[in-house]
Amino acid sequence: MATRSQARSGKSNWPIHLVLIAASVVIIVPFLWMVLTSLKTVTEATQIPVKIFPSHPDWSSYAKAFEKSDFKHYYLNTAFSAFMKTVFPVIFSSMAAYAFARIRFPGRTILFFVVISVMMVPNPVFYTPQYLLMSQWGLVNTVTALWICSLVSPFATFMLRQFFLGISKELEEAAILDGCNPFQTFRYIMLPLVKSALVAIVIIHLLWSWNELQWPLIINSSPDKLTLSSGLATLVSMFSTNYPILMAGAFMAVIPMIVLFFIFQKRFIEGVAFSAHKG
Amino acid sequence: MAFGKKTWISALSLLVVTALALTGCGGSQSNDGSEASSPDGSKGASAPASQASDKPKENVTLTYTIWDQLQQPAMEAIAKEFTAENPNIKVKVEVIPWGDYWTKMSAAAPAGTLPDVFWMHSGQFVKYASGKFLEPITGKVQAGEIDLNDYAANLGSIYTLDSQNYAIPKDFDTIGLAYNKELFDQAGVPYPDDTWDYAKLAQVAKQLSQPDKGIYGFAAKMDTQTGYWNDMLANGGSIVTADGSKSGYDDPASIEALKARYQMILDKASPTHQQMTDTDSTEMFKSGKIAMIFEGDWRTTDIDGSDIIKGKWNWAPLPKGKSKRGNIINGLGNVMSASGKHKDEAWQFLKFLGSKRAAEITAQMGAAIPAFKDTQAAWVQSKPHLNLKVFIDQAADAAPYPAGSKAYPVWFPKEAEIMAQAWGGKISIEDGAKQVAAMMNQAIADNK
Amino acid sequence: MNSKSRYVWAYAMIAPTLLGTVLFWSWPAVYSIYLSFLKSENFGLVNHWVGFANYERLFQDPEFWRNLRNTLYYAVLFVPLTLVFSTFFAVLLNAKIRGLSAYRVFFFLPQVTMPAAAAMVWVVLFAQDYGFINYVLGTHVAWISDTRFAMFALVIVGVWGAIGLNMLLILAGLQGIPRVLYEAAEIDGAVRFRKFRYITLPLLTPTLFFTSVVLMIGATQIFDSIYLLIGKTNVALPAVRSLVYAYYQNAFVYYDQNYAAAIVDVLLVINLILTGLQFAFQKKWVIYD
Repeated sequence: MATRSQARSGKSNWPIHLVLIAASVVIIVPFLWMVLTSLKTVTEATQIPVKIFPSHPDWSSYAKAFEKSDFKHYYLNTAFSAFMKTVFPVIFSSMAAYAFARIRFPGRTILFFVVISVMMVPNPVFYTPQYLLMSQWGLVNTVTALWICSLVSPFATFMLRQFFLGISKELEEAAILDGCNPFQTFRYIMLPLVKSALVAIVIIHLLWSWNELQWPLIINSSPDKLTLSSGLATLVSMFSTNYPILMAGAFMAVIPMIVLFFIFQKRFIEGVAFSAHKG
Repeated sequence: MAFGKKTWISALSLLVVTALALTGCGGSQSNDGSEASSPDGSKGASAPASQASDKPKENVTLTYTIWDQLQQPAMEAIAKEFTAENPNIKVKVEVIPWGDYWTKMSAAAPAGTLPDVFWMHSGQFVKYASGKFLEPITGKVQAGEIDLNDYAANLGSIYTLDSQNYAIPKDFDTIGLAYNKELFDQAGVPYPDDTWDYAKLAQVAKQLSQPDKGIYGFAAKMDTQTGYWNDMLANGGSIVTADGSKSGYDDPASIEALKARYQMILDKASPTHQQMTDTDSTEMFKSGKIAMIFEGDWRTTDIDGSDIIKGKWNWAPLPKGKSKRGNIINGLGNVMSASGKHKDEAWQFLKFLGSKRAAEITAQMGAAIPAFKDTQAAWVQSKPHLNLKVFIDQAADAAPYPAGSKAYPVWFPKEAEIMAQAWGGKISIEDGAKQVAAMMNQAIADNK
Repeated sequence: MNSKSRYVWAYAMIAPTLLGTVLFWSWPAVYSIYLSFLKSENFGLVNHWVGFANYERLFQDPEFWRNLRNTLYYAVLFVPLTLVFSTFFAVLLNAKIRGLSAYRVFFFLPQVTMPAAAAMVWVVLFAQDYGFINYVLGTHVAWISDTRFAMFALVIVGVWGAIGLNMLLILAGLQGIPRVLYEAAEIDGAVRFRKFRYITLPLLTPTLFFTSVVLMIGATQIFDSIYLLIGKTNVALPAVRSLVYAYYQNAFVYYDQNYAAAIVDVLLVINLILTGLQFAFQKKWVIYD
């Protein structure tokens, strides 16, 4: 691999490959271990000395994990709430971030601070008050409760503000001279320039909502109202340290995201990577 | 730029719609299964006395929340039978894992969204009852709708506060000694029986251990109800003094029992605390690496479900100690929410849960030892290849689970943290026990 | 366009985010400050005003200081390591080399592995007797239950889980640097490292600033991995317990919402100071266009 790329670029890239290959191996070990463990028997999984490969793959853990949990609803609820928790924050935050970054208006600093200050409050603090809010609205144990509190994203607002701040003024000034109002300037001139950041934010929010663990467990209790991550916690309570079953459940929980990522990785990462300097 | 305006407007209207949707949701409760199209939704029809009424009754769905997934099939079977008798009342059984159960309930209680009927643990009971979150059933008991003397081992009295009754006993549990027959056979050692004492346990544990192969005679786990509490009682110590005013952890007999258990780790007759943190000791037993372990009867189905050990294990009573045979009996209760929307129906279901029929289903499906008198035999027979009788026999001498105070939920989690330091070797067992005692006494004083 | 109507546009554009934030997130935060001055009973239905009593108890509690130290220790290890590794790999993956997309997928894999699942795997990997890590290193370390190593285990898991995302953010920042600047540098014959030092790094500072602020805030809120990896009967818990873990225990295990609120309010103040400092010092090193 190194020699071919060397031939192409005319420069030696093999040290880079060496570093990257080593790092990739380290990074994917836990993932491989998850798959290997899910195919072992309990004895093999905790065998001393360590047994890396199962003597023959045992798929029964998958059946057990699937049978004991409501994976169908977990998938649906997770996908739906991830969608809601991604689309709305991206729309709302990009507008707000633009205003915070490029328009000077009274109260700009303090309002921006109001928004990002909540990032400094740890998540468990919100559980009880948000639970009360949800129960006042009659949303306890509903799918709506999974996403409604996450319609806005201080994180995305902060991140996009940074990107908008980095854009040079000339383009914007030209748009204003053309008679664009601030929203039009934002929508047609500025927004396309931060496309890479938007792609990144979409990915980040998808992941966050995919991974959210505790809120679903607190607000919802019916298995058909839980998400993958919280459903997995149910599995832990059932099988404690029966690692093959837990790993099978874990693998089933992450596989949709991985498939999605493999299909869209070019668009995802290269969207992030290459759209910026085209603009 | 006309399109821009359109986008802008649609974005705004989206917000408005969202806001409307939010406020529009008010009042619709998820556990309310009543249908708007019901021909006669009159509330009065659901009173229990009007069973004979020919008016069609309101359709109601109750939520029944439990924490043990293994018992879900039995609970659903009971609910199904109940619905067969009361076609207008449907019951949804929901499982919340133990680790999140009380976090969830503590959020639900002040919000008024506790499930209609749910499992109660004696350790948590006082907090919920004193806060008036549970519906008292005293009136129903006095009216003779239910007789608390129907339940074994005085279980009816656990869930009583200020002479009010709050729960109907569901089941009880005691602790047994599970042993791996194969490991005993290999060493040519006779199986444990009711003549065993703690000295014998320690001696055989050492004999059966092969630390180099990762096989140990006993799991001297750092655990309370299925661990050293039994040792402490057997040795003449206590967990809390009889009047509940002081901790029993600093009683020399308690400390001696704790030390004896820890000694088994030092003797390599048990895995270390670190090893048991990495792998749950019962899982080790299930994979055939532990010869003997204390466990609760509720783990029977779980252990027997392991392909490795199925048919190769059995139960024995706990060993005798210096003063007696120690054991902890705990009983779960079914309670109903004080803020439920369908309390009449909830009561009907609660009463059915306390019936002999529900106890029989629980027993036959091997879910738990039912509390209802004279139904335990069916449970013992639910797995004839196992000596389940030890759990019933031990109930007579067993000490009740030391909860039933406001202080318990405060000291119990802290106890585990301090004892972990002792079991992990950071402090001595004696210091650990004394620290626990001081902490417990403080908690008792703070929560009078 | 006059400035007044620009204001109106600005307010309209921030309105959804601002309203949502205040409704769902700000008031619970403010409520937690209020709670810290109360003594609540009966799940918060009965409250008594106790002034600073909870804070007095907090500052006298040696466990609080230990938790604070653990939290800061974690942040001091986690933030620089994540930043350095993420930048390093982002720069490597920004080059035109073969197998680029494969590498990117590998690096991003931890990100799509949900923490609950990842924690399960790490527990097995870190296990003393049958863990893969001890097997490879030839050691016999109780990674997650030895007070000397548990913090490093948490940092390893934390960095592992954070590199993918932060690398992506930095990659996005890198791609925003105009090619023209590098071409100019190549004419000058600048070598790789000098290119990085004098062109890449300065222009990357807005991204790095954002990343470090978010990482710092995230690091001081470490909770999930302690909850999932260490657990409550672990002898190493006191050596790694963070402020947020202490909050969780007090609020949801000991039912002491008030004392718990005091803990997070102190954390809030610390974060305000840290973020304030970062914003104050950004003029010294962050270069906006």
